[in-house]
Amino acid sequence: MAASVEEINAAQYEERVLGAETPVVLDFFSTECPPCEALAPKFEAVAEQFAGRARFLKVFRQGNRELATQLGVTGSPTLVFFKGGREVGARMTGEDIKRSALKSAVEALLT
Amino acid sequence: MNERYDVVVIGAGPAGLTAAIYAARARLRTLVIDESIPGGQVKTTHKVSNYPGFPEDIHGSELSLAFARQAERFGAKIRRSVEITAHDLAPFVKTLELDESETVEARAVIVTTGAKPRPLGVPGEDTFKGRGISYCATCDGAYFEGKDIHVIGGGNSAVEEALFLTQFARSVTIVHQFEQFQAEPASVSEALTNPKIQVLFGHEPRAFHGETALEALEVEALRTQERKRLPTDGVFVFIGMVPRTDLLARYVKLAPSGYVKTTDDMETEIPGVYAAGDIRVKRFRQITTAVADGTIAALAAQKYLR
Repeated sequence: MAASVEEINAAQYEERVLGAETPVVLDFFSTECPPCEALAPKFEAVAEQFAGRARFLKVFRQGNRELATQLGVTGSPTLVFFKGGREVGARMTGEDIKRSALKSAVEALLT
Repeated sequence: MNERYDVVVIGAGPAGLTAAIYAARARLRTLVIDESIPGGQVKTTHKVSNYPGFPEDIHGSELSLAFARQAERFGAKIRRSVEITAHDLAPFVKTLELDESETVEARAVIVTTGAKPRPLGVPGEDTFKGRGISYCATCDGAYFEGKDIHVIGGGNSAVEEALFLTQFARSVTIVHQFEQFQAEPASVSEALTNPKIQVLFGHEPRAFHGETALEALEVEALRTQERKRLPTDGVFVFIGMVPRTDLLARYVKLAPSGYVKTTDDMETEIPGVYAAGDIRVKRFRQITTAVADGTIAALAAQKYLR
């Protein structure tokens, strides 16, 4: 079911995110975070829609603090978008990430 | 073929879930939809101390889950993380399109979309959202272990969440525009005696500064109009709420405050469309007043459907 979203850790960041051939959406999530729980099914649904065209990854913030700090991520959930090894576009964060907005952001990433 | 319900409740906070409990118990086919998981504002409230029936504090997330389970026990269907992508609430049979992929119908709709945190509206806020600025202590407090942070506001949420944040942060400075707090006396005295909490009364935030992440909060002393930059690791904003009226604004005239006016029976101007909970024009917004609204809306809808 969640096959379209893979979890990575900080050690895989360079290869899986920066080195990816397709655009990447990276979700920093936490436990005890209702907005993260709310985002998960939307993230998976959009990941499924864009399967093969963009890579959807998630990283557990508490277990990868240094990476979060390095990217200046201080809130969960935070979606960071990458293309060609560089962060692009505006991050999405917090309770109100809509499925339609995420979809539009990924479409913009692909153009 | 569209799926048909008697009642669709939009928003799974205390008002919506209570409406669902009453509607489902009355054997109405009841659907609750929410863009998030159930609980509304309660799900990210650390502790609830004033909801009757719980002599000990209960975590907001647990109370949310309990509301949802109770509604489901009576047969209400709760759909989580669903977005309404089109709607027509004016006709006798109301329709809602979900996630651009399916349409549901109902003769009665109860709108309980509540309110969301009010943004400060100062420069840098959008830039540093999630990069140092947060509106949810439960979600993001743990990011600030050992850090020096600021809380903006002086009402119940600001003071209570500041106390919660002392579990993680090394210091919490509350910035409040007035010379005293508007919160309940019990929390105020707890905050004022907490060694980790400092207070900056009579100051307002003016801007956020930083390179990639937030580094400083610029405040203005209201009396002297003097501005200063306070180095900070993070800022939590609790300055009240704004109603979520995107959906209803198309059908009803909003009150000047932005909230939705209803009758005592939670009716809006549109027959079969009710509004309940924090979205309504009213003086007090509590979990207890939301569940009362939800009860009344469901009972009124039940009469309307008969």
